[in-house]
Amino acid sequence: MNELSRAQIRDLMAQVLKNQDKELPADDAAQLREIGFRSLDFSELALRVEDETGEELNFDAPGLRRIATVGDVLDFLVDLQHQ
Amino acid sequence: MTVATSHQPTPADPEPAGADNWLVVGGTALTWRSLPTPTLPDPAAVLAHSAVHALTAARQHAVHGTELLLSTESRVDAVMRAELLEAGFTVSVLDDDGVHPSAPARPRTAEPGRLWLLTSGSTGRPKRVGHTLDTLTTVRADQPDRTWLCPYAPGTYAWWQVVTLSLTQPGQHLVVVEPDELDDWPTVAAAHGVDAASGTPTFWRRTLYRDAEALARVPLRQITLGGEPVDQAILDQLREVFPTARISWIYASSEVGASIVVHDGRAGFPVDWLDRETPGRPTLSVRDDELVVTSPYHGAGLAGPIRTGDRVQVLDGRVLITGRLDSDEINVGGSKVSAGVVRGVLTGHPAVAWARVTGRRAPVLGRMVVAEVVLAADPSAADTGVPDEAALVRWCADRLPEHAVPRRIRVLTDIPVKETLKSDV
Repeated sequence: MNELSRAQIRDLMAQVLKNQDKELPADDAAQLREIGFRSLDFSELALRVEDETGEELNFDAPGLRRIATVGDVLDFLVDLQHQ
Repeated sequence: MTVATSHQPTPADPEPAGADNWLVVGGTALTWRSLPTPTLPDPAAVLAHSAVHALTAARQHAVHGTELLLSTESRVDAVMRAELLEAGFTVSVLDDDGVHPSAPARPRTAEPGRLWLLTSGSTGRPKRVGHTLDTLTTVRADQPDRTWLCPYAPGTYAWWQVVTLSLTQPGQHLVVVEPDELDDWPTVAAAHGVDAASGTPTFWRRTLYRDAEALARVPLRQITLGGEPVDQAILDQLREVFPTARISWIYASSEVGASIVVHDGRAGFPVDWLDRETPGRPTLSVRDDELVVTSPYHGAGLAGPIRTGDRVQVLDGRVLITGRLDSDEINVGGSKVSAGVVRGVLTGHPAVAWARVTGRRAPVLGRMVVAEVVLAADPSAADTGVPDEAALVRWCADRLPEHAVPRRIRVLTDIPVKETLKSDV
C-alpha cells in the first residue's frame, strides 16, 4: 500500500485550504472552527488521500466526532490508512 | 412457426411514400426502392452487420409488415439472444452473404406490422418495447426537403425516428454514417450536402471538440438534439456556429415516443406546458421531481401516465430535465444536489467541452460531488485561460451552493462515447 506520511497529508490539507484562499497554520493545535476547515473540507481531504494512495479508506471507522484540531485531522487520516 | 416473407413488393404490399428518397450509405448513393430485398423470417430479430443491412430490413418491414426487432450483434449479448429465441423470434444475422438464421426455441405466429425496439438498458437489462411504423412516425406534417445525417445505431428509437421520416415523406433523404466514420462525419456530410442532423449532446460536443471548423462547413439548416439532458451551453455553442439554423431539442424514448419538442434555443421547456391537455398531444406532468408523460405514441402495453424515470427541476420558469432519477440526485450530508445542474455549470465554463458529475463515497457527509471534464480543444483561447482544478472549483463555488460544488475534478483527454452516442453523464 502506498501510504502517505503525516507531512504529506498536511500538504494536502494545506492545498484544500489554499483553493479557498485560506492558509493552514503551522500549529497542530489550531482549532478547525477558527481556520474555517469544515466537514466538506474534511471529506475533500479524505478523497485526496484516497486518490494519492489509490486505496479506499474505511470511513466507517469510529472516531470522527473527536476531531477538533489540525492535529486531530492528521492523526485520524494517518490511522485510517492502517484500517 | 416462422414464415419467410416474400421479397418483392406487390400491389398488396406497396412501396412506402419515400421509396425514391435517396440514401448514401458506405459512400454509395441509392434509394429505398433500389435496396436489395432479402427474404426475412417472420417474426425476425435481425442483427444487422452494417448500416445498409439495417436499412434493408427496415424497408422489408415497411413493404411487407414483417414482425421485426432490429439491432446489431454488439447490442445483443448471449442472454438477450436466448431471450429472443425463447420469445419466438428467428434471430438472424444479416450481412452481404444474406440471412443467417437461428431457429426460435418456441416458434409462434407472427404479429403483422409489429416492430420491437430494445431500450438502451441504461437502467438495467434492455427491455423489448412494442411499436408499429405508425407509432414510431412522429413527424407527419409536410416538411421542407432535407438531407438528414443518420449517426445512430440501427434499431434504436432515435434511428427509427430518422428512418421513418425518410421512409414516409418524399424529399427526406438520408446520409448514414457507420461507427468507423463517426469521427469524420462532417467531411462525409459536407460532401453529400447534409443540411439536417440529429444527435445526442455528447455527439455534438465531440464534434465541436474534435473539429469545429469542419462542422461549420456542413450547410446545416436543422440541428436536433436528444437522448440525453440538453443544457444551455451546448445550445449556445451550436448557435454560435450556425446562427441561422433551426436548433431543436427533443425528449423521446422507446416507452413514451417523442413527447417534447423545443425550438426556442433554450434548455428546458416552459413551465406552462405542464398539465396542459391537447387532443393527440402528450400531456406532461411532474410527480415527486419525476417527469410523467401521458402519450398517444407510447409503446404497446403501456397506457395512461407513464413515469419516465427522468428527474426534472423548475428554474426561472423552465422545466429542466436534469438526468435519470436514480443517478441525478446526489445526497451530500442530507442536502440534495442535482448532478445535471452541476454539469450545466461546468459546461458553462468557456474552456470546458464536456463534463460528467457523480457522487463519491466520503466520510461524514456520506457522498460528495465529484466531476470529470474534458477541456476545449484550445482552452487557452477562452477568456479564462486554461483552468486548473482549483479554478474550476472556484467557478462552481461562484454559482452553486457550497455542498453542490465538486471538490475533485479530474481532467480527461477525450470525450467518452458509447454506441448509443451517449456518455452516461
